[in-house]
Amino acid sequence: MSDSKDLLRAPFELAYNYKRSSGPVMSKFFEALGQQKILGTKSTAGKVFSPAAEFDPETNEPLKEMVEVGPGGVVESFSWIENPQHHHLIKEPFAFALIKLDGADTSMLHMVGQCKEADLSIGSRVKANWSEIQEQRITDIKFFTIEK
Amino acid sequence: MIQAGVIGVGQTKYDAKRRDVSMAGLVREAIDNAMLAANLEWDAIDAVILGKAPDMFEGVIMPELYLADAIGAVGKPVLRVHTAGSVGGSTAVIAASHICSGQFKTVLTVTFEKQSESNATWALSPRYPYSPHINAGAGGYFAPFIREYIRRYEAPEHIGWKVAAKDRQNALKNPLAHLHIPGIDEKMVSDTPMLWEPLRYLESCPSSDGACAMVITAQDQVGSRNVAWIKGMAVRSEGTLSAGRDEVNPQAGIDCAKDIYNQAGIQNPFNEIDCAEIYVPFSWYEPMWLENLGFCDLGEGWKLTDKDATAIDGELPFNMSGGVLSSNPIGASGMIRFGEAALQVMGLAEDHQVEDAKVAMGHAYGGAAQFFAMWIVSSSLD
Repeated sequence: MSDSKDLLRAPFELAYNYKRSSGPVMSKFFEALGQQKILGTKSTAGKVFSPAAEFDPETNEPLKEMVEVGPGGVVESFSWIENPQHHHLIKEPFAFALIKLDGADTSMLHMVGQCKEADLSIGSRVKANWSEIQEQRITDIKFFTIEK
Repeated sequence: MIQAGVIGVGQTKYDAKRRDVSMAGLVREAIDNAMLAANLEWDAIDAVILGKAPDMFEGVIMPELYLADAIGAVGKPVLRVHTAGSVGGSTAVIAASHICSGQFKTVLTVTFEKQSESNATWALSPRYPYSPHINAGAGGYFAPFIREYIRRYEAPEHIGWKVAAKDRQNALKNPLAHLHIPGIDEKMVSDTPMLWEPLRYLESCPSSDGACAMVITAQDQVGSRNVAWIKGMAVRSEGTLSAGRDEVNPQAGIDCAKDIYNQAGIQNPFNEIDCAEIYVPFSWYEPMWLENLGFCDLGEGWKLTDKDATAIDGELPFNMSGGVLSSNPIGASGMIRFGEAALQVMGLAEDHQVEDAKVAMGHAYGGAAQFFAMWIVSSSLD
């Protein structure tokens, strides 16, 4: 094998600036996050989707009715991250979790922080903690913590 | 063989920026219109076939998964089609093939592009290491082919202006078209800046947001519905850089057209086809495709354009809807051609309807003019 140090390498950074139009339904969901509120969409059958869904995957109906859910909820499943990497938003050990917010019928993927692995279990009650700066993004919820 | 027919065509309003809707909302707008036209409920749909141009254009990889809720595909077979600019056409052909296979009774097919979410020209020309930065985009790529066409057949420069003005005049009759340019004429086109010689600004397609959907069904499912029967359909490709390739008159285009004429029993396409929606993103592709598709001999295409044969009231109207020159949501642009051809034979093209259109052709091309998709639709099954 040749010494790879002698072979040419060049950086190739593939980057484009995309701009998302989030549409009338998801815009309300993101605007509400900016006001420290979590919304869901409610179907005619009464099912509440949060994060908001634009269309019901079962009936295909467009979902327009917005309802407030959370900020508390229940952990439905989680994956513990003992050694966060540079790209993780939380630098201390934390969990990625599926959280069913109070009033919702679907679960939201987010993070649970400021706890030990042993303290967290399926069924744990958690509550949204808000970021210092609101940017109308899902990261406006900084993470969830176990409800005392 | 099982006969397939189009029973619903749905389109969005085309515009430079459809900021009022998400990508999901955009595709759904077209689907809702197609389902309404077909007078069908969701449970009648057996499969969903989605097409669009490169995922880089919006930065959503495999959007058919993200869009599953919006396109009603949850729990149903889904197929994604991707053949560059011709994708709208090949998606329609593949959707119809599902019906002809006998395995599906009714399929929904949808294509879209939301160009406002990025910049297609730059997505096509990344700055690769060790290579000159082409920065070309489609216009710069096709301009040399067009110059060669002009050289071969000594075509006068006003032909390009004429096509550009004619298609935009047709667009004024189509409320969904992106470009509505009041008073558009050859002089206005010829006064615009040169972008890629010989193409001027108004000889180039716009960059649009939009979606087009169709419902295609089997003969035994149509009931009393208005149907555009698919009499012939085909796709063909050739190597971008294969030796001996004629970029001006690609063999794949010639072969694809011959195939659909044979299927449809058409001997003389110029006489037997009432109107056509042909993929003309740059003005000069009208005369080039007139020849490539066998509507006339080589070198005669620009003469047909010059004597108004392709005008909406001409012998062979081309792009009654305004064509790609008036609306270009890339991934959908081919399907718009196929859907508009269907609308013509269904008699539903409203202000841009060609009188007594019974047989129409839809055409799409893509990549470096090496992907082709075409179909012939008819108002009668026989």
